[in-house]
Amino acid sequence: MSAEATTIRRRGGNERKYRMYRLQKASAPYIFILPGVVFYLMVTIVPMITGFWMSFHNWSIIRPTQPWVGLANYRKLLADPLFWTSMKNTLTYSLGVVPLQMALALLVALLLNTGIKGKKFFRLLYYLPVITPLSIAAVIWTWMYHPNLGIFNQIVSIIGLQPQDWLGDPNWAMFSVILVAIWSGIGYRMVVYLAALQGIPRAYYEAAAIDGAGRWDVFKYITLPLLKPTTLYILVTSVISSFQVFGLINVLTGGGPLDATQVVVSYIFKRAFGDLQFGLAAAMSFVLFGIILLITVIQWKFLGREVTYE
Amino acid sequence: MSAHLDNSSLDSALRKHNRHEFGETAKWQRIIGRALTYILVTLGAIMMALPFVWLILSSFKTLQEISIFPPTFFPRNPTLANFTEVFERIPFARYYMNSIITSVLPTIVTVITCSMAGFGFAKYRFVGRNVLFWVILSTMMVPFPATIVPLYVMMAKAGLINTYAGLIIVGLSSASGIFLMRQFMMTIPDELLDAARIDGASEFRIFRQIIVPLVKPALATQTLFTFTGHWGAYIWPLICVNSDRLRTLPLAIPYFSGQYFSYQNLINAASLMAIAPVLILFLFTQRYFVEGITITGMKG
Repeated sequence: MSAEATTIRRRGGNERKYRMYRLQKASAPYIFILPGVVFYLMVTIVPMITGFWMSFHNWSIIRPTQPWVGLANYRKLLADPLFWTSMKNTLTYSLGVVPLQMALALLVALLLNTGIKGKKFFRLLYYLPVITPLSIAAVIWTWMYHPNLGIFNQIVSIIGLQPQDWLGDPNWAMFSVILVAIWSGIGYRMVVYLAALQGIPRAYYEAAAIDGAGRWDVFKYITLPLLKPTTLYILVTSVISSFQVFGLINVLTGGGPLDATQVVVSYIFKRAFGDLQFGLAAAMSFVLFGIILLITVIQWKFLGREVTYE
Repeated sequence: MSAHLDNSSLDSALRKHNRHEFGETAKWQRIIGRALTYILVTLGAIMMALPFVWLILSSFKTLQEISIFPPTFFPRNPTLANFTEVFERIPFARYYMNSIITSVLPTIVTVITCSMAGFGFAKYRFVGRNVLFWVILSTMMVPFPATIVPLYVMMAKAGLINTYAGLIIVGLSSASGIFLMRQFMMTIPDELLDAARIDGASEFRIFRQIIVPLVKPALATQTLFTFTGHWGAYIWPLICVNSDRLRTLPLAIPYFSGQYFSYQNLINAASLMAIAPVLILFLFTQRYFVEGITITGMKG
């Protein structure tokens, strides 16, 4: 192949071939991104817009007409006590899972980062729950939580606690769900923290050692501030996903007992696929989306100041 | 390196001047700290692994042993019968096939579409690039539940509910995949592409013969993430499928667990067989997972 193939083509007067070359070069980026972007937006943006439109209609799949009802769906859900219960339960779940899970993930990452032997093996064990299909993990936990035949009551009896019907008792159901959620998500956050810890230059620690800083000081004044962007990233994504919890709860408790674990998404499902009130369910989805957006913006605003030591 | 310390040497060490004394206690602190680290990490790891150990042990127990109170930990008469019986009692092979079809196919397509899109976003300047990329990244924050009700209505209108096509079509691309690929491809120098262009290579040939071989680790990472994601997919299949014929493993196992609690021995064997592929895959490819998390997690 000649190095000046294109120039020769142009000089040789092969205009058509040259135009073809120009065309493929100009269209190439669009062709590259087309399938990925179309397949993605088709299942995100398009349903979102449709859903927004649906939320202003009395939409049921079994009726031929979907009349416009304005804000009626939104008014209806704000007046629905079960919607507020599900909101409160979602908040309880989020507060129960996110802080503890983050703290434990950071602790494990710090411990694994001290140069202990078998780091890879431990990392593997902590990560196993992350790749396990959540609905099947929930089945395993249902079996562990079984009041008579499960192993969980045996374990708690070792530390002197009373056996419970973990998933069947409204007082314990949310606690039991939170425990499984923490278990299933520590590994991912631990790996993110571990990667961030390894990115902190050794020079900072050496300087601190020369100054005679204790372990706690090093953690408080060096490690923690430098991990701030990572912490913010984990916090924001964890809160978003905790507000969307559904699969785990659907398998473990189905929202019960007595709506003790009914969260917003499980309630949306109930309204949409149980009662076939699609318009109302779409409105609830948008209220949830708005709340998630608001919380995310607040977190960025108050915690998002960039920390750099360069 | 360090000599063994008994009480007398500890005493003498304490009697020595301050600096030396400080060195000795620091050493003991280090040893205790190290021991505590191992104990904590091991305790945590046991708690993480316990459900898996309990599942494996239980799946070798007979139905009779599983129904004893208090439960046994190790199986008394280990049996493999559960693993064969589950295929006879429920159409387990069918569910397995469904899972394979609805995981492998979208994974292949996703890796292709994401690597192409990642290349487009990383290596070209074109009208609307930044806007589109921003839109894709910000929709990562849109909760899946917010789109699922309208998605169901759209799919029902298109006649795709209760079909393989309906199961597969929602998973043919991913924002995190596009992002991962873009991050990887940005590190490839433009000179390499220009050199190929001067040699007369078309843009598609550049992608196929230069880019793809260079980003093989990213492709491996993307493949593994996508596959494990699809293997565990629950929410969309739950809505899309309402016939037994199309159930995938994450649907079938909770369904039977709810329906036939008295066959918990079979549920355990089925669960173990259902999670085995991803666990085994992960054992051999841990490195790629960690790399992928590092790239997507850090740049977020």
